[in-house]
Parts: sequence; C-alpha cells; structure tokens
Amino acid sequence: MACIKESRPTGNTIVIGLESSPTNLDPRYATDANSYRLAQLLYNTLIELDSRFHPVPNIIKRFANPNDTTYVFHLKEGIQFHDGKELTSKDVKYTFDCILNPAFKSPHFGAFEKIDSIVILDKYTVKFILKEPFAPFLINLAVIGIVPKDDMQKSEDSFNITPVGTGPFKLAEFLHDERIVLNANADYFDGRPKLERIIFKIIPDSTVRLLELNQGNVHLLQNDIPPDLFPFLEKKDSLKIVKRPGTTYSYIGFNLKDAILKDKRVREAIAYAIDRKAIIRYILKGLATPASGILSPYNWAYEENVNVFEYNKEKARNLLDQAGLIDTDGNGPQMRFELTFKTSTDQLRKRIAEIIQQQLKEVGIKISIKSYEWGTFYSDIKSGNFQLYTLSWVGITDPDVLYYIFHSSSIPPQGANRGRYINKRVNMLIEEGRITLDMNRRKNIYSEIQKILALDIPYVSLWYSTNVAVMNKSIHGYVVYPAGDFFSLKDVWIEND
Amino acid sequence: MKDFIIKRMLLLFPVVFGVLTFVFLLIHLIPGDPVDLMLGENARAIDKEKLRESLRLDEPLAVQYMLFIKGAIKGDLGESLYNKKPVIHLILKRYPETIKLTIAAMVLALLISLPIGIYSAVKQYSFMDNCSMFFALLGVSMPNFWLGPLLMILFCVNLGWFPISGDEGLRSIVLPAITLGTAMSAILSRMVRSSMLEVINEEYIVTARAKGLSELRVIFRHALKNALVPVITVVGLQFGALLAGAIITETIFSWPGIGRLLIQAINTRDYPLVQGCVLAISISYVLINLITDIAYSYIDPRIKLR
Repeated sequence: MACIKESRPTGNTIVIGLESSPTNLDPRYATDANSYRLAQLLYNTLIELDSRFHPVPNIIKRFANPNDTTYVFHLKEGIQFHDGKELTSKDVKYTFDCILNPAFKSPHFGAFEKIDSIVILDKYTVKFILKEPFAPFLINLAVIGIVPKDDMQKSEDSFNITPVGTGPFKLAEFLHDERIVLNANADYFDGRPKLERIIFKIIPDSTVRLLELNQGNVHLLQNDIPPDLFPFLEKKDSLKIVKRPGTTYSYIGFNLKDAILKDKRVREAIAYAIDRKAIIRYILKGLATPASGILSPYNWAYEENVNVFEYNKEKARNLLDQAGLIDTDGNGPQMRFELTFKTSTDQLRKRIAEIIQQQLKEVGIKISIKSYEWGTFYSDIKSGNFQLYTLSWVGITDPDVLYYIFHSSSIPPQGANRGRYINKRVNMLIEEGRITLDMNRRKNIYSEIQKILALDIPYVSLWYSTNVAVMNKSIHGYVVYPAGDFFSLKDVWIEND
Repeated sequence: MKDFIIKRMLLLFPVVFGVLTFVFLLIHLIPGDPVDLMLGENARAIDKEKLRESLRLDEPLAVQYMLFIKGAIKGDLGESLYNKKPVIHLILKRYPETIKLTIAAMVLALLISLPIGIYSAVKQYSFMDNCSMFFALLGVSMPNFWLGPLLMILFCVNLGWFPISGDEGLRSIVLPAITLGTAMSAILSRMVRSSMLEVINEEYIVTARAKGLSELRVIFRHALKNALVPVITVVGLQFGALLAGAIITETIFSWPGIGRLLIQAINTRDYPLVQGCVLAISISYVLINLITDIAYSYIDPRIKLR
C-alpha cells in the first residue's frame, strides 16, 4: 500500500480551507465574517485598528478632528485601484454616499447615519461632518473598503462578481461554495505581496478540512477545528500550530423577567456553580481563557478589576438557600428548581451544555437542555422565550457595543438586550460613552459600566476563545489576529527547499 | 402513449402548484428571520428594517405569496436573499452536479446489484448467495456519514487515488458515487433476488426450460425481463430521492450539488432559494415517475398506459 506524500505549497500559492463561502465581497453590502475577511485583502479602508482596537490610519496620511463633529482625512497620494485608476477623495465620498443613500439599502446604514455631509476639499482631502458627536465613528470606518466611483457607476450589477479595490490582492475567480482565487496586486501601494496567489477552498465538513490539510491539499486552516483533533495535529511534523487569545466571548444569558432568575442571588449562585476552568481544560483542550466581561483584555477599554465568580459550590448552595430555594433532601434526587437552557445544535455547544447541566445539578438546580437549529434558536432568544441560553459575541471592537447589548432601549427588536436588563446608571453611562471623544474619559466611563455589569450579572461570562491557525511548516509570516482577520496574508511567504 | 404523456405533463402543473404553496407556507411558518440571519447579531434595528423592506419581507404573507406565484408563472423565481443572484441561475449551476452524482451512483448500484441479485436467485442458499446477502445487509446498514469518511481515509489519504473533496473532474465523483451507491446497490440486489425468485418458479419458466432453451436464455430473456418491473419501481423511487440531493454525501465530499444548496437555504431562511430548489426537485420527481411508468410498458407490454 503506497502512502501518498504530503505536499507543500508550491509556486508561491497557498490554499486556505474555509468552512463557508463568503456571500458578498462588496464592502458596502458584506455582512458575514468570511466576506469581511476576504474584503480586507481586496480593499483598503480609511482607518484600520491596531492590536488594542485603537483607530490608526490605513490609506490616509493623517486625520484631524477640529471639533467634536468634524473629521478631516488626508489621503495618501498614488494609491491605485486594481484597474490602474488612482484613488481620490471622490471615491471616498462616493463609497459613503452609497451607504447613506436609501436606494442602495446598505446594511451598514445604521453605522453611519450620524453623518450629516461629506465634503471634498481637494483631490486628496475629504471632510466628514456629523450631526452630533459620535465616538465610535472612526472605528466604524475600519470595516468599509473604498470602492472606485467610475467603475461602480458604470457597472453596478457586475460589481459583485468582479470587485475592484486597492488591496494587496485582486479577485481572479469566485465560484460560490467552491473556491475563491485571489492574485497578488503587483502595484500595491504598501509593497507587492510575497505570495502570488491565494486560493480559498470551501470545505464545509471539519474532518474533511483537516484531512485536506493533512494531505497538503490545503496549507492553512484558521479556527473551526474540533478541539478533540488537536492532539493529532500537534503530532504532525509537517504542520505548525499558532495560537493567540481571541476576542470571541462566550456567555450564558439570563432572562431577567423570569420569576426565579430576576433574583440576583440565583444568578450569582449559577455563576459560582459553573467550573469554567474544567470545561476549558477538558472540553476545549485549553483553547480558551476565562472571561470576566464582554470586552476582552485586548480592548483598550477593558477593565481588569471587576467582580469575578470563581468556582465555589458551597457559596452557590448558600446563595440559593438565602434566596429561599431550599434543597429539601440535601444530596438526594430532589432538586431545588428547574430551568430550561437553550442552545444551538452545534455539537460542541451541546456537550458544554451537558457539562453545565451536571455542574448545576450538584448545587441542586435541574437543567433541561433544549437545542434548536440556529434560526429557531435565535428567534426564541430574540423574543425573550428563554430562561437561560448560551451564545458568543464575535468581533467586538468598540465598547459602544454595550449600548446595543445592555441599554434599556435595546430590547429586541431594537437591539440585543435579550435578557431585558435595565439599570438607569448603566443607561446614562452608555449614552455618555458614545458622545465622549476624550479616550481617557471614555475609558473611565466604560470601566464603571463593566464593574456594574459584573455585579448585576445579566450574563455569566464563560471564556474568550483562542484563535488557532494550523499551517504547513513552510509558511512564514502568518499572524493570528484576535478577531481572526486575514490581514497578514500580504506578508506571508513560503520557504522553498 | 402520446396522450398519456401529455396528460401526465398537464398533471405536473397542479402538483407543482400544490408543492410550491405548501413549501411557501411551511418555510414562512417555521421560526427564524432571514434578516436576522443575514445581518448577524451585531446589526442595528434600522439596518434590519431597511433590509426587510428592500427584500419585501415586510409585506403581508398573502402579498408575498402572490408576488412569488406571479414571478414563478413568468419563470422568474426571484433572487437569493443572500447572494443576490437569480435563483434560477443558482439552480441551473448546481442541479447538473447532483444529476451527475445521481447517475453515477445509480449506474454503479445497477452494475453491482443486477449480477449479484440474479446470481443469488439462481443459486439460492448457496455459499455465494449467503455471502452476497450478507454484504447486502452490511451495505444497507452502513450510514453515509460513516462510509464516506472511511472511503476517504482509505482511498484518498492512504492510497492517494482520488481527490478528497470538491469537483475536480471524473476522479472526484468516484467516492461520492460509491458512498451513495452502496446502500442503493444493497437494496436493489435484495430486490432483484426476491423478484427473480418469484419469477423463476413460475410455470412459463418451467415451459421455457422444457423447450430446451439454454439456462442463460431462460434467465435473461424470460425471467429477468419479468422480474424487472418491481425493480424499476424501486430504481425510480431511489433515483427521485437522490435527485432531491444527497445532503450528507454532498457535505462530506464538498460536492457542489443542490442538496447542499437547499440545506444552506433552509438554514439561512433564504425563502426564494428554498422555493426554487423544491420546485426543481418536485418537477424532477414527477418526470422520473413518468419515465418509470413508460419503462413499465416497454418491459411488460401487458401494462397499458392510459
């Protein structure tokens, strides 16, 4: 029986396995994670985010903020679109005008609705005037790639198929659900990428993705790797694994309108009864770090000194006793009360739910697990039809997201305050945070919010998932970013024998 | 015959109309909002509203239904909510892949099941008969999600004979076809065997033998032809079922067929795409049934098509 040889990336081309196909590479319409990540390679943005999620210039030399509602951006000169035309301020204005034009129906309208007008000052200078101060404005700019005005106006329909940007790679082929091929942009303003070509291959099954990696048909995989398979991957001489703590935050959400869960002592008891470290160690194989709140330690607004709930069964039992929920038969089969725990059909989430069920049983709480396919599950939690549920927040950058999650005006359908959490002080601070431009003052505001949330516990913080990339050993320069971005592909190179 | 075909083709319309109405109601009744699923958790309410409006999902259900039926009559199945491409284009691109895989699996199943079924019937209770029926039992008991990866590890990983995933030419179809065809060949070989056993005990077979015909001629000319009627029914049903998309096999082998397209459309509540896929599948089902009926009359002239 002949054993096939593991192949290495050749000809400066690397193949990356993706679980699902991006749906739309037009930055004005892209909404899913893979579309964002690929759009980062095809386009440039005015602003990008540094490792602490501070806004820093991308295709601009500098920006000025003469008053709370005005931003002036000075573009770098000589940046070319893939078709050879130069990027100027009219392209910037055009891009955002499209998003703000109701006829375009861009899903990013809400992020930029505070823009009052966009004025071209000269070929390389553009001014944005806001209706009112809005602190997350700069960070919101980091997701919108600039599209060329002339091309767009000529061919609105075909744009989706052949996007033209200024990014380090050009789109060569997009076969939905099969593969996306990107070629290097030799004229990239920040230096030609070292790779000639990147092929993103869509492989929905996680085991098959790993087999393809094992065979050398795929050279890099990032995340979506079952933790159980890590011991196997670690033994492979041809592969290397790069890990970096991420920002994806997993939590258990409470329905604060529920007769039992509205008692803070019960929520505290549940938080104490869950042994997160054991779940991280045995189920997640160490690929997560315990979380203390929505904002990860990477975020500039992260507050370290908040109330944390270390695993303590005794404390949990005492709190439940204090709440009048007595365990009448001690360690016997009788439970104090029963709660429903909703989760998706994802196998890993179901396993974690079972562990939590067991851990809560030890303090006398009976958990009934209900797992639903995503659409039904999401519909239930949005409508408040739950007691406990588990989910993750992905891609948290600006702390203003707290408005969307915990402000009392954000109860669905307006926002994602699904647990119906209401705290006037938190409301006030969140509102202040979004209009305060001074970073130090803003940080103090969000620190206080995080401390209050950790005491009120509308969520039990579980963990931040670790980002993992598994790649062929000959690949160098790949950086795993906290949000799983593919930025570093422009600096990746292959070591040939 | 011509009248029969025309009549059956006309029947296609009420069937398709019924299926479309049923699917439309069903997909709209199940919980889950396509806008939520498209924009993700972080989306703002205003963006959701605008998108809902642009997709005309804010219209009453009756209006959405009328719009859909009006479009369908004109041959316009709308655009996929997700990638904005016309549903008809997506189906025309993906359906041939499923048809290709189905035909390959069916040919494989017939190539295996016919000889095995015939031999087992002729040599009933022989060692080979027991062996083949044991393997038939095994084949029907092996689920695709287990057999697929197993074949993949043996033939792709260890032997390197075939590509692991995707559609990269003829070699790519072999393993998905075996995965799909195994259970089918097991069912068919048992079917052929039992059908043949029934026929070879008939008096006309005894007469054929008494006439001094060779055993091969008796089996293939007289027995097999009559034994095939129930087999064709099963082939037709299985073929129709496979055309509905072999979701598990397509997912395992990253095969870009309609099954994967449909399941993604259901998961994302992409209503026009779900409706389009079901329409394509239901038309195929009706056509396969028609072909099966026509095949009966060729094989057994006693069956009249009216």
